[in-house]
Amino acid sequence: MSPAGEDGGLRRLVHEVRELALGHRTLYESGRLTVSEEAARSLLRDPALAEVRLACASPGESVRIIGVLDAVQPCSKGPGGGGVFPGFLGPALPPGRGETHVLRGAAVLAAGHLPRAQEAVIDMSGPAAPLSPLAATHNLVIEFERAPDAAWEEVEAALRRGLLRLAVHLADAALEAEPDVVEVLADPAGSPDGRPRVGVVTNLQTQGKFKDVFVYGRSLSGGLPTLISPNELDDGAVVSGQYGHPALKNPTYLHQTHPVVAAVRERDDLWLAALVLCPEPVDQGTKELVSAHAARLCAGLGLDAAILTKEGGGNADADVSLKMDRLEEEGIATVGIFAEMAGRDGTGPSLVVPPSLAKAMVSTGNYDERISLPSCARALGGDRLALLDRPATDELELPAAAVYCALSPLGWGRLTCSEAA
Amino acid sequence: MRIVHYLNQFFAGVGGEDAAGAGPDLREGSVGPGRRLATLLGDEHPIVATAFCGDDHASGHPEFAAALVEEMREMGAELLIAGPAFTSGRYGLACGRIVSAAAEAGLPALAAMHPDNPGLAEAGGTPVVASGATAREMRPSLERLAAAARKLAAGEELTTEDGRIGLVPRTNGLAKRSAAQRAAALVLERLGGDREATEIPLPTFDQVTPAAPVANPADALVALLTEGGFVPAGNPDRLESARATKWVRHSLEGLDSVKAGEFESVHGGFSTQWANADPNRILPLDVARELEREGAIGGLHAEYFATTGNGTTVADARRFGVEWAAELHQANIKAAILTST
Repeated sequence: MSPAGEDGGLRRLVHEVRELALGHRTLYESGRLTVSEEAARSLLRDPALAEVRLACASPGESVRIIGVLDAVQPCSKGPGGGGVFPGFLGPALPPGRGETHVLRGAAVLAAGHLPRAQEAVIDMSGPAAPLSPLAATHNLVIEFERAPDAAWEEVEAALRRGLLRLAVHLADAALEAEPDVVEVLADPAGSPDGRPRVGVVTNLQTQGKFKDVFVYGRSLSGGLPTLISPNELDDGAVVSGQYGHPALKNPTYLHQTHPVVAAVRERDDLWLAALVLCPEPVDQGTKELVSAHAARLCAGLGLDAAILTKEGGGNADADVSLKMDRLEEEGIATVGIFAEMAGRDGTGPSLVVPPSLAKAMVSTGNYDERISLPSCARALGGDRLALLDRPATDELELPAAAVYCALSPLGWGRLTCSEAA
Repeated sequence: MRIVHYLNQFFAGVGGEDAAGAGPDLREGSVGPGRRLATLLGDEHPIVATAFCGDDHASGHPEFAAALVEEMREMGAELLIAGPAFTSGRYGLACGRIVSAAAEAGLPALAAMHPDNPGLAEAGGTPVVASGATAREMRPSLERLAAAARKLAAGEELTTEDGRIGLVPRTNGLAKRSAAQRAAALVLERLGGDREATEIPLPTFDQVTPAAPVANPADALVALLTEGGFVPAGNPDRLESARATKWVRHSLEGLDSVKAGEFESVHGGFSTQWANADPNRILPLDVARELEREGAIGGLHAEYFATTGNGTTVADARRFGVEWAAELHQANIKAAILTST
């Protein structure tokens, strides 16, 4: 056995999920995950929720999920493992060492109404399916009704706690199962063997209620950039409470499986040296401070290069652009991941605030271009799409902006944009 | 090829600013600058009709374009030519709209205007060639337009060499690898010394010259405008909370301030809690009325205009700006306070 657990790394024990069903007992066996309805309901029980309903949605099915809120990948460190989702379920202490069981190919997600949540759509089949990471997972979908007297903030907190508990409960079912794959995640402080040291700089949206992201259960709002080990993501150090910008949203699921972290890790010519988390302040002065500070932090870490990610549209471009410029000034080669907002016909300026020194940008597609979704057999998360005031199962024409994670600022997708030939 | 030529009320000889509200119409043959254009195009490409519309009507009623295009198609038009609109904003907007509507209906179209004309974006991906800044440059502008029209009629693409302006559309597609994997690959290129490699060329932005300061505010009528998603409670016009495609107007007559519970912000880009607790913080009617009473300003416009500035496309925002400017100009407003959120 590799001593990864002792030398600061993390062992990821991967259990593949190929089938999902509701049943009497929660069980994981040879890729088939059965979820006890009773156990799930009891984990979701909260005075703020009058009712919860459970449903399954698997890849390839003629199902549309609307009003998608957060999504979480099931994970657990088992009894005595120190716990996952620090600050919510476990003590607020840095995780990311030892062993973590994950159910790959499964997700728990909530769908329904919350204030400030812009309507997000996932089609489990058809032309929009390749655009969403959650169309490729077997999803346990939680629909809910608010208790009559509950404040929306309480509803949101109840859903978040419920999703996280359920994620652990499902992964607990696989603790005794032989993993399909064991992945050893090195300690980023280890030796790069001459490879360029690359940092991932991830901006987290910090815009208050229903638009906040949590690190160890706390908002980064008002704070400065901070350094964590990328391995902590697997243990749920970053949890999303941000429900705006469907296509530009980073759900907990994508923080847990951070695509840029994974892409740097899989290369043998780059060394994943650091993950820097930054708030996305709403005023220009603080954006400049946070950007300059992040660049100093990266310089202090001796990074050769950095990849920047954001969450949300519009002003969040400024946070990436300012950091790219400050990092280049520190002599750090920088690449930024952007979604384009080029208008319905793709002729508008792509970026709200472009960098002025740095140029290396990757495009996750044009937010405004429209996409046609065929009608489907069944809908979860609501009966009507408020955005178009149409039945949720109808044939729909929507901007790419409404498809959940379609322009993933964390770089999940293959969608991109270029000048027509 | 049977050509229809589009002009505004002025160049069509209907009238000046007083006729800017005139509705759309069609007339046989060429009119005004169309006569010179017809000569340049020759017998092979006759101008069979001239379409026109008042600039105010065209900017306030976007549907004029589709209706006119329908009539052109019924009369067997094969190509639409609009302009030249020079730097005239409302005329450029109308030209942009009509060629865009034609292209959507499958009728090939071409416009001419100055590169700084705000109507350029309205044409979308439909070809536009550069004209001069004013009608003093009518002759060279028509020559370039006629040459471009002949090339288009021959089924060829227009390029910058033909004076084509406006952006080439960017379209979505699926790459072989994820954005994250491409970012990692781009890091290696960048570390290898390539400072230019990118998937997104840097955009260019308009430089707007501000209007001259108001000489005497005490004589000036002032309008209140906002992009704060500001609507009467219940949002009767269903103004969008993001990616707005329209703007709304509501009366301020008889109001001394905007009260909580009567107005609200539906903006999806920030927490509206404080704005809704005191709507005057988005639309500062309370202090504007004080200034009005003190005589510091000549008066307040009877209505406010609002849209939502949250993920709104530049093309839509530019169109709102042209429409607002036209409305305010018409109402003799000398200054506007546009609160941004």
